[in-house]
Amino acid sequence: MKKVKSPVCPCSFNSRRTVRAIGMAGLLAVMIVGCGRAPSRTGDTAFQPLNPDSAVFWDRQTTESAELLRSLVDDFNKGWKGLPVKVERAGSYTDIFRKVTAGINAGVLPAMAVSYESMTSEYITLGAVRNLDSLVTSAETGLSAEELNDFFPGVLETNRFPEYGNSYYSFPFAKSILMLYFNKKVLAEAGITSPPETWEEFLTQCRQVKQRTGKFAHAVQADCSTLNGMIFSMGGEVVQGRRTLYNSEQALAVFKLYKTLAREELAYLIAPGTYEDNVALAKDSIAFVLRTSSALADMKLLMEGDLERWGVKRIPQKDPAQPSTVLYGPNVCLFNIGDEQVKASWAFVKHFTTPEVSVRWALETGYMPVRKSALQHPDMLAFWEEWPYNREPYDCLPIAKPEPNIAGWQQVRDFAARAVTEIMTGIYDAETAARILKESADQALARAANF
Amino acid sequence: MPSRANAVVRLISGVFRLPDTLLGALDDLLDALRRRGWGDAPAALLLLCPGLLILTAFILVPMGSTFYMSLFGGRHGMGSFVGAGNYLDALGSHDFRQSLLVTVYYVLGVIPASMILSFLVAFGLYRIRVFRGLLRSFYFLPYVTSAVAAAMVWRSLFNPQSGVVNVLLGYLGAEPQQWLLEPRGVLYLLSDGMVPAAWGPSLALTCIILFDVWHGCGFMIVVFLAGLSAIPRELEEAARIDGAEGWRMLRHVTLPLLSPTIFFLLVVGVIKAFQAFNSFYALTQGGSMADRQNLILYIYAQFYQYGYWGYAAAVAVLLMLAIVALTLVQWRVLERRVHYL
Repeated sequence: MKKVKSPVCPCSFNSRRTVRAIGMAGLLAVMIVGCGRAPSRTGDTAFQPLNPDSAVFWDRQTTESAELLRSLVDDFNKGWKGLPVKVERAGSYTDIFRKVTAGINAGVLPAMAVSYESMTSEYITLGAVRNLDSLVTSAETGLSAEELNDFFPGVLETNRFPEYGNSYYSFPFAKSILMLYFNKKVLAEAGITSPPETWEEFLTQCRQVKQRTGKFAHAVQADCSTLNGMIFSMGGEVVQGRRTLYNSEQALAVFKLYKTLAREELAYLIAPGTYEDNVALAKDSIAFVLRTSSALADMKLLMEGDLERWGVKRIPQKDPAQPSTVLYGPNVCLFNIGDEQVKASWAFVKHFTTPEVSVRWALETGYMPVRKSALQHPDMLAFWEEWPYNREPYDCLPIAKPEPNIAGWQQVRDFAARAVTEIMTGIYDAETAARILKESADQALARAANF
Repeated sequence: MPSRANAVVRLISGVFRLPDTLLGALDDLLDALRRRGWGDAPAALLLLCPGLLILTAFILVPMGSTFYMSLFGGRHGMGSFVGAGNYLDALGSHDFRQSLLVTVYYVLGVIPASMILSFLVAFGLYRIRVFRGLLRSFYFLPYVTSAVAAAMVWRSLFNPQSGVVNVLLGYLGAEPQQWLLEPRGVLYLLSDGMVPAAWGPSLALTCIILFDVWHGCGFMIVVFLAGLSAIPRELEEAARIDGAEGWRMLRHVTLPLLSPTIFFLLVVGVIKAFQAFNSFYALTQGGSMADRQNLILYIYAQFYQYGYWGYAAAVAVLLMLAIVALTLVQWRVLERRVHYL
């Protein structure tokens, strides 16, 4: 059968290969057109404000605490003559981190945002965060030496970045502390009258709960901050310079504790990002939970107002005479988007950390006040009188240590959570998990420093 | 005044006739080109233009940007030029290789299971006479359900403490499992520890595979049903007269005639499986465990969480090359076995 000849274009390119080559070249040209160089920023750089008419504050608070924050902002705006502050909920901390980094590359930023130390150090490298040294020490708008001394040292120190001249790049906002929540009813069923002071007692009580009630004693949340808090309470540190100490004797003791809890089925692992442990404690299914002090308000709700059934106290220690726990919770960083915006933002941050506002914020949200004088406030004293355990987190403030604030720490957090999960699920023993965590964390920090 | 009104009417009607006039002019131009021997090529090119523009703006330009970005270092932006450095870093990275392995396990788990299950269900639906429409809708339901919403339900089903699956296992006298939190290999668990824990997909990954088989089967069933309905009855009857029945009919008549459908589902399914994100993210909460982090989640973490834009772009390019290569291999190897009617 004769082949039907297709209509041929009379143009000179009748060779298929030539047409293909031209097509490919065109495709490549179009792709190359898309290759626009994204801005690379180092050092302090000016950005465009998200809203030129107000100082936008990106936050993550929800429900009652979000309403309280709005009300505090309204109060501030009433007495402030400059640009008004406008608070916007921008999602979770991770969402805010993603939005800010996207904003940095787009060249448009809010006036300020809540930020963990590891997040702030990333923004500093991109030249987006305002160095607060001149604002803090300014005779006109800054804080006096007396006022600075009124801040809890740990709360303030975590906002200074040794890698960047030990300058202030953020200021305290919503701090909290790792605490031990315990269910008195379950402990009583196991014949235990008081919660543990040391990790050895903790393990003994876990075994006792398991043996006498058949219940799990603890629900483990695989989380870097919790791990760090436990290492601190063992008398250890987690980082030295840009090298982690996850293979230290104290870290190993924590990993071995996790291993024992898993091997003897004294504890189980909860799904990441959930509050299954808090719910289990409220349902009298477990005896202990390690969570932030800011969970206190939620726990009261879960316990449906029953204050007899549970309590909260300092996490167990290796040596109760030298206690330590972890301080976490975000700070606020101000972005380089012009003097008017920075001025309004700094005025708000200063207002927010005054003892009166600090007390109101602490009492209604469960976060810690950042000023020592707040602890003498009549409202605070009345709050402590309501329930003896209300005071426990505040007593831990002087012993709470901040987490590292070096670039690359975000990735280390994931590796730490992975290590805890691998121990709890029986993949690795304590030594192997510690070694792998140490290696991968050090590599991540080195990589972040080299990029 | 009347002349001014007339002018306005003429202007308005002229505006309304403008598209007609332009299309007429275009038609004349294309006719003229055709008469000069250009054939239908100019008209075809004109019709392709809108599609090409969209493809260029939303596919080719971003692809070019990604490739360009992959040649630079830096965090949360583009630093210095590193050439192929990011590619070499990725190929040397244990986490990248682990994510690739997870992706391969996932593809090898989801595609055969989905296709076999979907074909069996579609074949059953094709054969039955009653409730066919109802059952077809029933099987299609998971596909139209939001993956994130369905994943929430699956997470509660697989909850190690309170999930229904462990409760049922308890009734059967079996040990409760950690399901979505279990990083040990499913082979290790089934063999009671005889196979190393790191071999094969983890139980968590297997749960994700099961979820996606359940979620994706609806689409494949509908496509298989369309393929089965398109097989000419005469061919089946002719085969039946020649003595073909049951398995022989299926093996030598139905499956060969269904091969274009199978080929289409295989190609599309493999591409989709390599790009899976929703189920992984929703079931694991974006967790960082290596045993359930496929390449897309790995890219996501490197880009958004750790800020290695260039590196993430390089991994994205490698993934795209892998998908293109695999699709071409499928095309070359399998298309020969496809029987088009």
